[in-house]
Amino acid sequence: MAATTESVKADAAEAPLLNHRNLWAGITLYLVFYSFIRWYEGVYGWSAGLDSFAPEFETYWMNMLYIEIVAEVILFAGINGYIWKTRDRKVMSITPREELRRHFTHWTWLVCYGWAIYWGASYFTEQDGTWHQTIVRDTDFTPSHIIEFYLSYPIYIITGTASFMYAKTRLPTYQEGLHLMYLIAVIGPFMILPNVGLNEWGHTFWFMEELFVAPLHYGFVFFGWAALAIMGVVNTEVMAIAKLLKKDLA
Amino acid sequence: MSASQSAVRSRAEAVQVSRTFDWMILFTLFTAVLGGYHIHYMLTGGDWDFWTDWKDRRLWVTVAPIVSITFPAAVQACLWWRYRLPVGATISVVALMIGEWINRYLNFWGWTYFPVNICFPSNLLPGAIVLDVILMLGNSMTLTAVVGGLAYGLLFYPGNWPVIAPLHVPVEYNGMMMTLADLQGYHYVRTGTPEYIRMVEKGTLRTFGKDVAPVSAFFSGFVSIIIYFLWHFFGRWFAKTDFIADDNL
Repeated sequence: MAATTESVKADAAEAPLLNHRNLWAGITLYLVFYSFIRWYEGVYGWSAGLDSFAPEFETYWMNMLYIEIVAEVILFAGINGYIWKTRDRKVMSITPREELRRHFTHWTWLVCYGWAIYWGASYFTEQDGTWHQTIVRDTDFTPSHIIEFYLSYPIYIITGTASFMYAKTRLPTYQEGLHLMYLIAVIGPFMILPNVGLNEWGHTFWFMEELFVAPLHYGFVFFGWAALAIMGVVNTEVMAIAKLLKKDLA
Repeated sequence: MSASQSAVRSRAEAVQVSRTFDWMILFTLFTAVLGGYHIHYMLTGGDWDFWTDWKDRRLWVTVAPIVSITFPAAVQACLWWRYRLPVGATISVVALMIGEWINRYLNFWGWTYFPVNICFPSNLLPGAIVLDVILMLGNSMTLTAVVGGLAYGLLFYPGNWPVIAPLHVPVEYNGMMMTLADLQGYHYVRTGTPEYIRMVEKGTLRTFGKDVAPVSAFFSGFVSIIIYFLWHFFGRWFAKTDFIADDNL
């Protein structure tokens, strides 16, 4: 009886396996932020984003670009630096329950990564297509590019690297070495950002019709395939979690 | 592992943990596949998918199935061969189409004011369902590639026919014969797509004047078979769980 009481007390004091608040806060954060961004595009794309030589373009779009680049560098360094600095140096000694808890935290990161990939690779990338069908581009930094390339892509890169860093520094599963598919799932989509260099370089040569299927865009396609590597991460995670739960699900 | 070292405290908790992971995994897989598949599809077949005046009887019918059978084949290679879940193709296509519909409505219409009936996405669902059903019943990658791949190509046009047929009605405008879809494109000027780069109805003096769509679908099915094989193995590769040594980086 006494042991049961102690156990109940321990349960009450223990952190939950999954911190639901963090999970929903993460999902909501991206949703609210990108809703705001979409509203900003809707208003200032038309009123200040049509002519890159206009002073209002500098005010509403170029300043946004400068701010977001600085913020992203700080966020990238801050989040990944924090995860690295607070790493567990005895990661192989944790209890199974703690390991399970960390898998949940890891999946909170992965959920945010998937969510961020959706916004970057799907929502803002196809959106760029319709913007180019509507205005004449006179700069690399069109309103849609300032959001797509220089905001939504860095955000999923930051989320992905943080997720990878969390797994590598806190989960015994990933101490064997470097998980190849995890690397591809993070580095592949990351490479879409440097590939912007090829894209913009190509567009500087001529006034290019926005044929979306033009070979100039195939770099994005190739690196987009890397999102499939999430399947390798899922498989590894399923094996690790099944091992933790096997006894009780048998 | 001793009783006190168990990761969970009861079978009920184990089941609950397992279900919670299922949802988190499904969400992540769904959104990641959506992102990768969407960027792939929009940049390999997007122009035919964006606009009704690109949705012709020849190139749309040929290109869309060939470039869209890719991710379904790869995801099947993971979900069926590892978990016996016969939903890989359908889940990929549902993900893609959700992403497309959100975009066409909120951005094509909501930001740049193209009516949805000029920019709705192609329907890929019938072919995806058939792919999954053939894999489930046959349990064979080869059968799914050959029969499913061919069906995927052949079903594309009939699967889109109910929605595209009204827009292929001929009209005369300023003394010229065109389709209603062409007329939509004529009125909704797109600065990035001048008429001379529109890839539709290519060819002159065609032998099969009235049979373009079925011939194109048949050809598309043929190539889809090959692409299915290729992407099945891509999918298997991407599903690997290998580690490389830290010092190999």
